Amino acid sequence: MTATGTAPLRKRAARPAPAKVPRRRRLTERRSKALAFIVLTAPMLIGLAVFRYVAIGWSFLLSFSEARRTISLGKWVGLDNYKELLSDERFRDSLTMIVLFTAMIVPVTFVASLGLAVLVNRVRRGRAFFRTAFLLPAAVSYVAAAMIWKMALFSGVPSGLANTIGALFGADATPWIQTQSPPLYWIVLVTLRLWLQVGLYMILFIAGLQSIPPHLYEAASLDGAGPWRTFRSITFPMLRNTSVAILLLMFIAALQAFDEFYAIFSTGASLGSEPVRTPLMHLYGVALQDQDYGVGSAGAFLLTLLIVLITLVQGRILGFARDKD
Amino acid sequence: MSVLFVAGSAVACSSNPQATASAKGAKVTLTQWYHQYGEEGTQAAVKRYAKEFTKANPDIAINVVWGADTSQYETKLNAALLGADAPDIFELGDFRAEMARKGQLEPLDDVYGSAKDGFNKADIDYLTVDGKLYGMKTIDDIMMLFYRKSMLTKAGVTPPTTFAELTAAAKKLTDGDIKGLFIGNDGIGDSPYLLAWSQGVDMIKDGKVVYADAAKSIGGLHDLHSDKSILLGFTTDWYDAGAFTQGATAMQWCGLWALPTVEKALGDDFGVVPWPAYDASGKPVARLGGWSQAINSKSKHVAEAKKYLQWLWVEQSAIQMDWAVKYGFHVPPQNAVAAKTPALSKGAAKDTVTIGTKYGISFPAEWTQAMQAEFIAAAADIAQGDDPAKTLKKAQSKAQSDLDKQMG
Amino acid sequence: MNRYRGSVLGSAVTYLVLCLLSVVFLIPFYVLLRNAFMTTPEITATDWHWLPSSLNWDNFTSLFDNPERPFGRSLANSLLIAVISAPVSTLFASMAGYALARINVPGRGVVLSLIVGTLMIPQAVTFLPTFVVVGSMGGVNTMWGLIAPGLFNAFAVVLFRSFYLSFPAEIEEAGRIDGLSYLGVYGRIILPNSVTMIASLGALSFIEAWNSFLWPLMIGQDPNSWTVQIALSSFLTSQTVNLPELFAGTAVAILPLVIMFLVAQRHIVQGIAMSGLKS
Repeated sequence: MTATGTAPLRKRAARPAPAKVPRRRRLTERRSKALAFIVLTAPMLIGLAVFRYVAIGWSFLLSFSEARRTISLGKWVGLDNYKELLSDERFRDSLTMIVLFTAMIVPVTFVASLGLAVLVNRVRRGRAFFRTAFLLPAAVSYVAAAMIWKMALFSGVPSGLANTIGALFGADATPWIQTQSPPLYWIVLVTLRLWLQVGLYMILFIAGLQSIPPHLYEAASLDGAGPWRTFRSITFPMLRNTSVAILLLMFIAALQAFDEFYAIFSTGASLGSEPVRTPLMHLYGVALQDQDYGVGSAGAFLLTLLIVLITLVQGRILGFARDKD
Repeated sequence: MSVLFVAGSAVACSSNPQATASAKGAKVTLTQWYHQYGEEGTQAAVKRYAKEFTKANPDIAINVVWGADTSQYETKLNAALLGADAPDIFELGDFRAEMARKGQLEPLDDVYGSAKDGFNKADIDYLTVDGKLYGMKTIDDIMMLFYRKSMLTKAGVTPPTTFAELTAAAKKLTDGDIKGLFIGNDGIGDSPYLLAWSQGVDMIKDGKVVYADAAKSIGGLHDLHSDKSILLGFTTDWYDAGAFTQGATAMQWCGLWALPTVEKALGDDFGVVPWPAYDASGKPVARLGGWSQAINSKSKHVAEAKKYLQWLWVEQSAIQMDWAVKYGFHVPPQNAVAAKTPALSKGAAKDTVTIGTKYGISFPAEWTQAMQAEFIAAAADIAQGDDPAKTLKKAQSKAQSDLDKQMG
Repeated sequence: MNRYRGSVLGSAVTYLVLCLLSVVFLIPFYVLLRNAFMTTPEITATDWHWLPSSLNWDNFTSLFDNPERPFGRSLANSLLIAVISAPVSTLFASMAGYALARINVPGRGVVLSLIVGTLMIPQAVTFLPTFVVVGSMGGVNTMWGLIAPGLFNAFAVVLFRSFYLSFPAEIEEAGRIDGLSYLGVYGRIILPNSVTMIASLGALSFIEAWNSFLWPLMIGQDPNSWTVQIALSSFLTSQTVNLPELFAGTAVAILPLVIMFLVAQRHIVQGIAMSGLKS
């Protein structure tokens, strides 16, 4: 709370410049600073080195090797794995699909969570209740949520909740997950995803909303601004930086979509009959099911490349890449 | 960091079966993996078998590790085989010849010995790679078509003997919320394999992937889907008899394992038939599945592991019978044992065993998960109306390059 | 006058919308609980029932009775894992986040991108090398093998960094003048002042540890080291699906998180409110 109150002061003071100190002290100062930096970042860096960087480096080498049912290196094949994947129509389709999906789902998630945040923030009574109701789903695992969606809400039999409600309006029982024209499975996927994720983003937006100084609203109210104009001229601009950060997280999450697709479409033994597949689903099949670690790793780096490109473009447009201080 | 040490010591206290087993005086402890069986009592049973073996062979203790469900088990096993903590003996659902060719499996010809001729011939062929046997079936699972007698009579249809009859029956049996046929929640299930086989087409023949020849029969999936006569999106999938016993479908593709449940729910109001021949020139088919055991070629105790496998799955016919029919419903792979099993010698169980012997077909051993995914995806596209010949050709050429890669 | 009526109408509409939405958001929980008390035929029945015909508490008791599925033990394992990894991972992230925000040394940008970069590389495919690395260090079937790889959370580092960027500098400077070293400032001043932030991100990392599936599946080979998510997946086998226990088990598995959320949600909001995501 102190942080929000004194926020404007921070920018100037962010880099405490050691003014006028003797040279000797400055030297030990610099050394103690470096020491502190090393001590504080070491656990994270060592941990990431052991559990992530080694694996990432290894995977990178594997992406240039033939590695079926083994992860030992040695049978170098150059760019063959990359070529194989890019010539695979199903993988290419999955890349196109995920770009379109991201383009659709990010705005929807963004508007839904911002909308909820604004609504929840507007009410006085029951705010804690609404906040909790929307945040609770974040505690549910994808597997459990998909099970509820598949077996109870959107099952194809008349006893599914969606079909029960449909029957009230005289509709026949519909197999939601299996219907491809029109693609009703998107309703299943998108509602599941929103249910699980919106609460978390909503909380981040509420945090941003609460840090907007109230006097701005008072001024707007005196000017006679309506709710929509207040939102457009105060709320939204003041949320700009929150929004940019949340968008970055949303883009990464959308491009790496896997869990709800897999949980909804997997039929037991293996994949294949799903009407849409994300790149990560394809790679899961290649690497963890079919045991082709060379091609699987190549795919991971292609997907990483796509993520980096899209977040860079996003950063260009919205200015996230700019150094903050 | 100190918290980590606390975690470490917490583990030190947790029971380590390997340590306790070897403490009892056994010289060698073998680790044996099973996937998760759904039937009650299965885990206790395999532990009991292991104990009996140690009683007879005090030098060798067995550490039974009960694993994940089928969909995760293979992933988990493959990961373990890459690492330092691989099991000595493990179960395999779909046998993968590639594992043998990559040197991950130990040949088991000497374990079979002269008993080899007594095993189901189809199983022996399935588990043979380049002239050597790399696995030992512990149960055969037969998959077949269940039909509800009363519903068929009411609709005036007989159990189908051709695919045309099947689609016609499914259509006739569909009545409002009750569907004619259930082959899987995705409307695909194993049907593409069954359709191809029933047309007389194999997946792989003489080192070539040839399933595109089955364009005619797999194209039939589109009719089933546009007729809206198949059940989609039920609560449980085809391998559970729920849809059939609940009366949501008149016919369901399921397996022998579900027979006790179906009998309990429906009495004798049901029958079993193979998947019908595609047409007069085709043949009826059933899928032959089940589980095999194999030995890790990198195991430090291959000789002991072989001794155990031989004792358990070749010699102990009482245990094999117990394992096959006491908890679920499966067929023992040794013909003589199967013939002696009383539960399999009457009623629908007997019909199923006959179906399995006459029409049972396994997946090819060269089949991989990538080929499976590609084939099923093609069939799913065809069900939605894509051109069968073109779609299958494309999938087939991809599968062929996978196969070439596998054969080296 | 007009404006007054508008705002009353507006807040009535707001309440109405929020009430409707929260009902929609809570329906899946209701369905889960409903199914948890039902029998298999009721769950797979062809018509919808709003309530189970009777409360089958057996579904819950049999969860813990079955010696073949160590459900109780898996709950305890998950609890231990989450209770250890949430505070430790949050502490590590806080330390790194603070250094990256406030200690200006050469190479800081490189360290930042090294950490943020791990967010962009999908974890699913680097999984096996990680598994082999941890396995070769003897981590299979051990508690540390289950916990350690999840302790290093780049996402939390990014959030902590922006939180500390907006931390009032005067307090730090006061500490420095009092003769505290950089580390002293962090330990004595920063850490005690970021308790709410630590609580919020700790709660999120608790959820993550609790719900993770693939890693515990591979590293915890023995049923004794199963986590609750693995135990739940064991109700869906290839032969039969035990629906009542599956739903009952899922309800039990969600319960600790729901309780934690109800208790912690105030802190969570306040913590993130301070995080300075507004930069």
